[in-house]
Amino acid sequence: MMDAFSLIRPRLLSAINSLRPDNKKNSWIRVLMFAVLGIVFWIGIFVVFYRVLSYFQSVQEFGDILAMKLLAMVVMTFFALLIFSNIINCLSHLYLSQDLPFIHSLPVDAATVFFSRWLISTFDSSWMVVAFSLPAFLSYGLIYHAGPLYYAVVLLAIAFLCVIAAALSSAVVLLGAAILPAGRIRTILVMLGFFLVLLLVLALRLIRPEQLVNPDSFATVVLYLNSMQTADFAFLPTTWITDALRTALQGEIKNSLFHIALAGSFAFTMIFINDIIARVSYFQGFSRAQTTPQRLFKPFSYKGFSWESLFNLLPRAARAFAVKEVRTFFRDSTQWPQLFLMAALIAIYLYNFSVLPLDKSPIRTVYLQNLFSFLNMGLAAFVLAALAARFVFPAVSMEGRAFWIVQAAPVSLRTFLWIKFFLYCLPLTILAEILIIASNLLLSVTPFIMVLSAVTMFCLVPPVVALAIGLGASYPNFQSENPAQAVTSFGGLLFMLFCFGLIAAVIILEAGPVYYVFMSDIRGRTLTLWQMAWLVISFTLAFLLCLAATLYPMIIGERRLSIE
Amino acid sequence: MIELKGLTKDYGTTIAVNRLNLHVRAGEIYGFIGPNGAGKTTTIRMMGGILAPTAGSVLIGSVDMAKDPAAAKMKIGFVPDRPFLYEKLTGMEFLRFSADLYNVQPDSFFEKAERLLRQFALWDWSGEIIEAYSHGMKQRLIIACALLHEPQILIIDEPMVGLDPAAVRMVKDILQELAAKNTTVFVSTHTLSIAEDLCHRIGVIHKGSLLAEGTVQELKHVANLGEARLEEVFLTITKEDTFL
Repeated sequence: MMDAFSLIRPRLLSAINSLRPDNKKNSWIRVLMFAVLGIVFWIGIFVVFYRVLSYFQSVQEFGDILAMKLLAMVVMTFFALLIFSNIINCLSHLYLSQDLPFIHSLPVDAATVFFSRWLISTFDSSWMVVAFSLPAFLSYGLIYHAGPLYYAVVLLAIAFLCVIAAALSSAVVLLGAAILPAGRIRTILVMLGFFLVLLLVLALRLIRPEQLVNPDSFATVVLYLNSMQTADFAFLPTTWITDALRTALQGEIKNSLFHIALAGSFAFTMIFINDIIARVSYFQGFSRAQTTPQRLFKPFSYKGFSWESLFNLLPRAARAFAVKEVRTFFRDSTQWPQLFLMAALIAIYLYNFSVLPLDKSPIRTVYLQNLFSFLNMGLAAFVLAALAARFVFPAVSMEGRAFWIVQAAPVSLRTFLWIKFFLYCLPLTILAEILIIASNLLLSVTPFIMVLSAVTMFCLVPPVVALAIGLGASYPNFQSENPAQAVTSFGGLLFMLFCFGLIAAVIILEAGPVYYVFMSDIRGRTLTLWQMAWLVISFTLAFLLCLAATLYPMIIGERRLSIE
Repeated sequence: MIELKGLTKDYGTTIAVNRLNLHVRAGEIYGFIGPNGAGKTTTIRMMGGILAPTAGSVLIGSVDMAKDPAAAKMKIGFVPDRPFLYEKLTGMEFLRFSADLYNVQPDSFFEKAERLLRQFALWDWSGEIIEAYSHGMKQRLIIACALLHEPQILIIDEPMVGLDPAAVRMVKDILQELAAKNTTVFVSTHTLSIAEDLCHRIGVIHKGSLLAEGTVQELKHVANLGEARLEEVFLTITKEDTFL
């Protein structure tokens, strides 16, 4: 055990050293910004849960059922997040980290190495879920006037949830590494992504959430209630955790202790099982992972035509970077789960529009459809910002330690950054247009709104990409083992804030004139002169804002990167 | 061919390179030696256009690196001390990437690439992703890549680290051949025997300043060491404060 803690100590000391005042990254504005944002999120989650639960309490008979259904969904969501993040972290900490050869050269047995790495991986995967689950459980406690037992059960429940998720994930990774052919260990990530999408699609089809907001589809109240009270599986750890919390809220101490003990014993059993598997297979798996990684897909060409030919029209330097970027992106298996996840989220996004029960609304459908479409512009832009945060913001950091190649190449940093800009701008523009046009078609909006939203998205993509490239270049991390995590850095935070600000400003600038155009259309009137002037000024301002937000971040990014 | 004028790099807490003046002629192999932390890599990075100097200038074949970095870099083949590459590309793909950046004629690319890959014993690995290469193979690939566009100047930081004896011999032969064809070679190294065997002139840097410069014989004279080996000359010159 002492050996395991000795192995963890460098990590702890690194964390402590990073807090030293002489660390350049610890500027007060950076710390303050993270603290404020964290507190805002924490309070936001608390307020949302408190208000929702208060509302549920006001609904007689249904209230408790809805609150407990929500509790089960919250626990299930946290558990799914924990599993997803644990599998990625376990794979990295146990098999792929650069310090592993050194760790394995130390006079410590493989099971101890496994245990120390597992603890670090569990912490890395869980701290954020733990931090942001507390306000949800706190609001339950306050609404149900729970006693100290509930809060004790909450702490145990969170701890057991994290341990169970981590232990299940590490067991999957250990077994996967033992079973998969050497050099194919990264395939676990692709499989994970695929199963995640499958799970999401299945969940969507089985739960059919749109029916819950449409009581007409149930013949009677009893059927509706029954659908809300569908029994959970008794053998799922999330059921034990939910039952422990539910019974603690209702003051059933014995039941609560039974369920929490069930979860606890399972957690410890899983640690024990992991220890057995690790003793048998961890080192062999690690050893196999050292062999040459195999390529996921073989190069494809048809009659001499390959995908690289698509870039033949570009200038040579641009072509070189474009081909390199595409190759490194798709050959990096850590990108695959994220790609699958994004694809699933976009599919769900569009699916939601296809099942919106607009015809059941008391407000006139045409108005509602266009209102939704206008709001959809903002939503689609936020989806775009999220995609840019995950894939574009780390693009400069992805050069990693090979960044010297760019610095030594006869290509200016400005050219390098603009090449990156265009490379990401094109696919994101296509994606954003598909997203907005498809959702507008599902909403059957007017041609005016269709054109407006398509043009707005077309104008929003360049500044969002430029912000991602510019701020990514201003706050690069070339040393990171996982540059994709750059998005959780200070620069990533700034990017999200600027993006949200830009999108909000553009939407606000357009909202007023659009309302007048739309209402005059419905009423069959023409716009007045000042309404026309307002329209022209607003749209010009929105365009200039987009232009400035495209050029300025790129200039700043180039300036900051040249100091690196 | 290479001229450093008052080159200075101040990191705020330390002055890594302090008013360095150097001149390397065409066809010359210039060795740059010095203890750890002397400022060798910082100097080389400034010469390669990777690091901006705090003061002074780097002239590459009369092109000022600060004024026209693209033109200056086009003349250089740069090999850093650690072989960090795009790990997800194959060796051949990496050469193609480099050829596009350095404007190597597309018609002659495959012929040149194949010749270099065979020369550096990498031909059989050219279709494998670089992730699978050993340290020495990566180092050989970087050197091959630096030679692909037939640079006028080759700047190499620790060229022999990670290479096996056969590769060391091969690299030495290649550098001598290049110098014979009028290519300027600037080599930073800790391996004094290599500097002694290979270099026409040697510069000794310590604490950011050039302490001595000349042929091995001239350095021995400076250090007042008759028939000593370069190792002793180096230790005498860089001995704390002797020549500062």
